[in-house]
Amino acid sequence: MNSTNRFLNRLFILVVGLVVLAAGAAVSVGALLPDVQRTISENAERAVGPTVDTIDAQPWILWAAAAAAALLIVILLWFVLRQGHGHTGTLLQVEERASRNAPTGGRVVLDVKVAEQVLEEAIGRNPDVVSVDVTGFRIRKQTALRLTAHARRGASPVELRRGIEAAITEWDGVLGTSTPVVIQIVSGLRTRLASTSRVV
Amino acid sequence: MNTQALYRRAVRRETHSPRSALAITVAIILALVLAWLGTEAVLAAIGQQPLLVAPKDTVTAVLTAATAPAPLLVTIGVVAAIVGLVPIVLSLAPARQGRRGSIADRTAAVVDDRVIAQSLARAASYAGDVDPSQVSVSVGARRARVDVTPTSGRRVDQREIQNAVDAEIATYDYRPALRASVKVSTRGTVA
Repeated sequence: MNSTNRFLNRLFILVVGLVVLAAGAAVSVGALLPDVQRTISENAERAVGPTVDTIDAQPWILWAAAAAAALLIVILLWFVLRQGHGHTGTLLQVEERASRNAPTGGRVVLDVKVAEQVLEEAIGRNPDVVSVDVTGFRIRKQTALRLTAHARRGASPVELRRGIEAAITEWDGVLGTSTPVVIQIVSGLRTRLASTSRVV
Repeated sequence: MNTQALYRRAVRRETHSPRSALAITVAIILALVLAWLGTEAVLAAIGQQPLLVAPKDTVTAVLTAATAPAPLLVTIGVVAAIVGLVPIVLSLAPARQGRRGSIADRTAAVVDDRVIAQSLARAASYAGDVDPSQVSVSVGARRARVDVTPTSGRRVDQREIQNAVDAEIATYDYRPALRASVKVSTRGTVA
């Protein structure tokens, strides 16, 4: 649910793969055709002298190459560091201007922690659930909650979801508005460490 | 964006890999290579000793590489092409994460295939009256395989277990839907 640009990730991997593939294909195909190899190798050998002379005569080429490398590194770092953002700690913000009925006006900020504690307390009593985590996300200018429930071994995912939805409906009543909730039912280390429910 | 569209987007994103690890690895490798090339360029420009290879020698080596013997070039080219093919396939593959999604009015849900497998194993072990450790379930993209090893000397009704597992699956509204096949092992085990 984070704001990682997945299309950009895949495009980047695709482009890198295509460049490597094209280079490899060009080298092997060129080497397999004797005429092509002869032409290219002769021209390339003839170009060695002028190229080296150019680098010697024009030292700015080296500076330009270094600057281009630095620029590309910055772009790559930006690409790496922008992965996985989108968490938010604010669940709700209500603002009211001062009016005749409400002479002071005001601003209420509700933290995601409130939802977290209420829902963890409510859902934690469900015997099918080992533990609950709640995280807030910002998706397209809307706050959404992700509720991760660690299921007890053998719990029915349908029953589990029904129980969680009941708790969420109650929470909606408390909050007075409804926030989108994405439930994640997982089975991990905590499930394995917990005992199975024996009550049927 | 309305809630249903948000749910569709969230379920799609939670059931498929973002390919972040691969993209970050490739980006860091590229950045390191660029950092080395940039350092060499600066060292050559201020007339210092190169770290490994001076840029002038690199250019010369690349230009004279075309005269190398053909078999060597072909081998290098083919290896590079195969190495390039791997990220292309990975970038186009759907990369399912072994999870299933379901969207309702109030919430969207994403379930681990492991939870589904454990739930099917419980249903099968109750229906067949065998210990949960004697049931193993593997959940694929659209099929679930339930393997039951009966206790030695006791009969296990395959059809009963199949019905119980089918009934459990019928309650699921997670997509992609599953079809289960129950197999009872001909060998028993001591329980």
